[in-house]
Amino acid sequence: MHTIPVGLTFLRKLLPRCAFFALLLVSQPAWAALGEDESSVAADKAHFLASARILRSERYTLHELEASTGTKVREYLGSDGKVFAVAWQGPFRPDLRQLLGSYYETYLKAAGPRAARGPINIRLPGLVIHMSGHQRAFYGRVYLADHVPQGLSTDEIR
Amino acid sequence: MHGPRMRRAGWACAFAPLLGIACSGGSAPVPNTIAGPADNVAELSVDYGLPGIGYLNGLFATVTVCVPGTSDCQSIDHIVVDTGSSGLRILGSVLTLSLPAWTDDSGVALAECGQLFSGFIWGQLQRADLKIAGEQASGLAIQVIDESTYLVPSDCTGFDASTAESLGANGIFGVSSSLQDCGTSCEARLGPRSVNPGVYYACSSATAGGCQTAAVPVAKQLQNPVQFFSQDNNGTIIELPSVPAEGAPSVSGSLVFGIGTRDNNGLDQAKVIRLDSGGDFVTIYTANGTYSPAFMDSGSNGIYFLDSSTTRIPVCSDPLSYFYCPGSTQNLSAKILDRDGLVTVNVSFSIANARALFAARSNVVNVVFDNLGGPSAPAQAGSVDMGTYFDWGLPFYFGRNVFTAIEGQATPVGAGPFVAF
Repeated sequence: MHTIPVGLTFLRKLLPRCAFFALLLVSQPAWAALGEDESSVAADKAHFLASARILRSERYTLHELEASTGTKVREYLGSDGKVFAVAWQGPFRPDLRQLLGSYYETYLKAAGPRAARGPINIRLPGLVIHMSGHQRAFYGRVYLADHVPQGLSTDEIR
Repeated sequence: MHGPRMRRAGWACAFAPLLGIACSGGSAPVPNTIAGPADNVAELSVDYGLPGIGYLNGLFATVTVCVPGTSDCQSIDHIVVDTGSSGLRILGSVLTLSLPAWTDDSGVALAECGQLFSGFIWGQLQRADLKIAGEQASGLAIQVIDESTYLVPSDCTGFDASTAESLGANGIFGVSSSLQDCGTSCEARLGPRSVNPGVYYACSSATAGGCQTAAVPVAKQLQNPVQFFSQDNNGTIIELPSVPAEGAPSVSGSLVFGIGTRDNNGLDQAKVIRLDSGGDFVTIYTANGTYSPAFMDSGSNGIYFLDSSTTRIPVCSDPLSYFYCPGSTQNLSAKILDRDGLVTVNVSFSIANARALFAARSNVVNVVFDNLGGPSAPAQAGSVDMGTYFDWGLPFYFGRNVFTAIEGQATPVGAGPFVAF
């Protein structure tokens, strides 16, 4: 079930008016929230108790954590060392407050009451939020559109 | 899909203008048979939902819960029948019974941050007997949706769907193909520490921080209630009539328990789509051959698929941008493949302009639509967004009998999990 709230009061209100490049495997994972740098967080590795690795490519550094429960969380850091995208896939949704950092409240406001009970697709100035899936199979990605490195397809964020 | 009927429907549609009947697209839903009253049949309704709140394409049933082993019972209506989750969840604010706590092995009360993909439902687990139609599950763990007994832990995150207003219903009857809502992942431990990813909590006090993430054995988790029925316990069928192109204020149908256990729940000619361990199959969008992982979900209120740059169907303007708004109704098709790619079924569906569907009429509010849909992913500038789910929500169920077989439970065509239609 994809519960997203709210009903039909909305109707009344509204309608009358209306290629992958080579990745280099490195060690020493860290963990950071969207918009922050990798030194900003340390506590969260414990939170996920996950195996982790860092992959470097021309355009970004990817921190990948795989929780022992099977959910994979990926964080993409730009050349400025800041996280410009996060993505997850697996049987559980990660802790979004932790992962989205200062953007968590923005997400909550934007995800608020609406009539659709299905995937979340939110496009705000500079911020794109996408979550889909169902119980036991969740998928999501959130990125700062203005910080995605030039030439990187957002399709690569997954 | 069933030969003779299909031909009949096709013939009728050819003469639709003369006969004064409506045929949607080239694929008028084949009239399906909806089971009449029986011990294994509960009534379904798709209607406006809770007064003053409302619900689009909400599939509801009434359930009866009782204090275990007693006749102290309560019937609760407008419980969403959800093939996308497992477990019975009831709003604490409508529950008048006093139910015993569901505890871990050391007697500590358990609570759950139920993950619904975009939101959560918080509340403690309690023990109850469930009765629906002539079926009963005794001593079942249910979730009582309630944020006052135990405070929502800080790591239970996402949109809070724990109120009548946000849920839009009095509860959820989760009858997916999974036995539990969580499974083995929630019993995982690494050394002394639970790695349960914020689903189950042991609650020792009502104060902040009183609930701590807990590993919970599968047997103690929230269960798909159907498995505990003394018979008819291998799955369900959702049987709903077709809906006119402009929608309807309400329709009724049947929730049938059991698959091939009686003369009213046989698979007959239904195509069996076996599911992978995540409950998924594959869907290929015919127009451009795009592959997506896919699932059936009666708790999704539209067909949510691909993105508007891939489908070339525009989305509605805000605040309806979760839906597609084509200039005219789009008659589409897709192939559904089982997990091994051995079974392929062609499916036709329509997507109408959501804004036009919702346009107010003088004296009737249509809330039931078989042609409501939206994008599964945000549109990508100049690229196709692959890998997002194809969500076959409630519109798919209209005019069909859709079977959901529970994992590991025997049926005449082998054990679940599968869906069939």
